[in-house]
Amino acid sequence: MSSPHILHFDVVAPRQSESLPVFTFAARARDVERFARIERAGRDDSGTLRGFQRPQIAGHIREIRDYLEKPGAILPNPIIVAFTHSASLESGPSHDGVEGRFGRLAIDVSNGAPGWIVDGQQRFTALRDLHGSDFEVLVSGFICDCLEELQKQFILINNTRPLPKALVYELLPQVSDLPPRMSNRSQAALMTEALNYREGSALRGMIKQQTNPKGIIRDTVIQRLLMNSISDGVLRLYADDDRLLLDRGVNFVSEFFHAVRHVFSEDWEDKTPKTSRLVHGAGIIAMGYVMETVHVLTGAEDRDAFARGLRHLKGRTAWSSGEWAFGDERRRWNGLQNVPADIRQLSLHLVQELRRAIPRNEEVS
Amino acid sequence: MKFVFADSLDFVDPAYDFIADRNGAGRTIHRDDQFPHEFLDTSPYDGILVSRGIVGDALIPGKYTEAQLMRFRREGARRFLRYSREQFPDSMMMGDCGAFTYRNMPEPPYRAQDTVEFYGDGDFSHGCSPDHLIFDFDDQDAERSEKEIPEDIRIRFEITQQNAAEFLREAKSLGRRFVPMGVIQGWSAPSMAQAALNLAKMGYVYLAIGGTVPLRIEQIRRALAAIREVLPKQVRLHLLGFGKIEHLADLERYGVTSFDTTSPLVRAFKDSRKNYWARSKAGELSYYTAIRIPQATENNRLKVKALQGRLDQEEARQLEATALNGVRRLACREIDVEDALDAVMAYWEKLNWNDEASPSKRVQALDRQRRIYAQTLQDRPWEGCDCRVCREGGVEALIFRNSNRNKRRGMHNLHVFYKHLQDFRADAV
Ligand SMILES: [Zn+2]
Repeated sequence: MSSPHILHFDVVAPRQSESLPVFTFAARARDVERFARIERAGRDDSGTLRGFQRPQIAGHIREIRDYLEKPGAILPNPIIVAFTHSASLESGPSHDGVEGRFGRLAIDVSNGAPGWIVDGQQRFTALRDLHGSDFEVLVSGFICDCLEELQKQFILINNTRPLPKALVYELLPQVSDLPPRMSNRSQAALMTEALNYREGSALRGMIKQQTNPKGIIRDTVIQRLLMNSISDGVLRLYADDDRLLLDRGVNFVSEFFHAVRHVFSEDWEDKTPKTSRLVHGAGIIAMGYVMETVHVLTGAEDRDAFARGLRHLKGRTAWSSGEWAFGDERRRWNGLQNVPADIRQLSLHLVQELRRAIPRNEEVS
Repeated sequence: MKFVFADSLDFVDPAYDFIADRNGAGRTIHRDDQFPHEFLDTSPYDGILVSRGIVGDALIPGKYTEAQLMRFRREGARRFLRYSREQFPDSMMMGDCGAFTYRNMPEPPYRAQDTVEFYGDGDFSHGCSPDHLIFDFDDQDAERSEKEIPEDIRIRFEITQQNAAEFLREAKSLGRRFVPMGVIQGWSAPSMAQAALNLAKMGYVYLAIGGTVPLRIEQIRRALAAIREVLPKQVRLHLLGFGKIEHLADLERYGVTSFDTTSPLVRAFKDSRKNYWARSKAGELSYYTAIRIPQATENNRLKVKALQGRLDQEEARQLEATALNGVRRLACREIDVEDALDAVMAYWEKLNWNDEASPSKRVQALDRQRRIYAQTLQDRPWEGCDCRVCREGGVEALIFRNSNRNKRRGMHNLHVFYKHLQDFRADAV
């Protein structure tokens, strides 16, 4: 007879290891809480290590929770639970002649939750925060004899490589309804894709992406420029509307870079970040601020107007030879690196040069 | 006497959800946030001070992101802070170099020319010459002469004076709308008076006294008295970074025109006791301690304990939720003070558990804290204030927790302090 201290689940038990029985089933979060616990790594008074999980990551949990609150939310990857005792698996009756594919799991919870969460603690915590939810999760489990085996499995399961960031950024534009942290990046990635592949774009084919390894300018650099403008520059006008960003936003940036290519053609054509700082991270990001400044000072929106503004910088740059004069400090052209201090230095310098030059010259013309 | 607030991107999200503890849906930083003069019904200050050190540049990384810094330089301080001349007529938009940020360098990283450029970009109404902090301050009747002081102090004094002379010349390019302010630095009351006199002779009509943050009120009084004695009456004085705001009468007595401080805001979360300000009927400032209920999984102290395996995060989250619930139910008069305190102290104990302390010490500490919190919860000060923070947030403003609550409490303090100052001015006339 079933006692209140024994939980039963019908499980699917794939034929894998003889010594480590594996099974999977569905359960509500509050059921999981009854048979599984999170044991974090720590040391007892004598200094012996016990447990293995890392602490909760609040931001991560919040993102998952926000997602799970949406009506269409799914969570296809299972929470993994290991048992060293108090759990037994019985083979069920054979179906279509295959022995041992289905079974019944019995878990004794009379002394508390005997299972260890091996993977999915943040998901599990987020689920538990959704009070009273009947959302069911997939649970995959296994039974092993000893703690040592369990820790080995923990390491194997958690030692996966995250996707390369570059690939994630390329995939982002295909996905909607992302957490805000990713959606800013997603807008920038969307525009980067358009700038890289749209006919007539000044940057067509030039942006190095996972799928375009021959590109010259790193996609993360273009994205940084775009994110700066979306948060604090002219593109913030379109920030609430992806279609406007893709249409007017992309066109605006492309027009600016047509002008850059034209005015600084000797520092641009056939150059690489190694041979010209103009196509290097520091140069591209600084030119983003030049784009904002020329626009604010002269109202420029097309390549001709941008070029008129940019000509004021002609002869005052050291993109691929010579040196920059930042106040009293002199820097060789290739001394500029893609680090925050250098980017700020270069940006402030170029913008200041423009400010000094544009009002005076515009009055003359 | 004008109160200038020293800004360091102190804004809150007006749509912040206290129950779910998160920002309003789709909130965009800065755009959807509100500065104190936007969030409160009326501006709680007469001007804003922005330091180069806070904005940052290539030489000194500030608090602004790179995109914000470039936007600030492009749009100017008033647009960036949404503090327009039209909406806030007669307000000061004041700049300084933030000498504290480069106090350890042999000389300031800024020159007169690039400082003027910063003030020009920022469209400031007032701006200070680039100064260099002097930390020593002589006792009364033991003041050292210029020959007696160490060379590095004398150099700091001279740099400050030299920069002021250059700055006054350079600042002419900003036109008559801009008021240059010469900064006074000195190691004693007489040396500050000398510095002030030199600056007045250069042609400054508005001076700012620097380096007073570590000084006691008695020292500030001596400095002010000495400066006032030598200075022509029409020369105005500003006190930079004046934290001793309980002593407004001293500023009045020595003819201080303006002062800046962040004190009301930062004490909301940096002071151990005086977090929430109130005014008695007699017009005195009084203080309450905010109830600390940090976020269980985000608090660093708790995180460290969890990493060491000395704290069960699930249990901590439970205690946190119970404490929050206790304070809220007290505010709704569903439970009494003792029940709310039980919930608050259960979490406090976990949070402040000190392995080193003896059991009797622990009991003492717990009792002391309980009495402090009892005062806050018994008096219900949030019900006696009509500012937007208290009106909308109620008891949430008394919970010491995260930036959106803590800065709101700071804005409430600004509101209370400004009222206090206005009454003080009315009395002084
Ligand atoms: Zn209030």
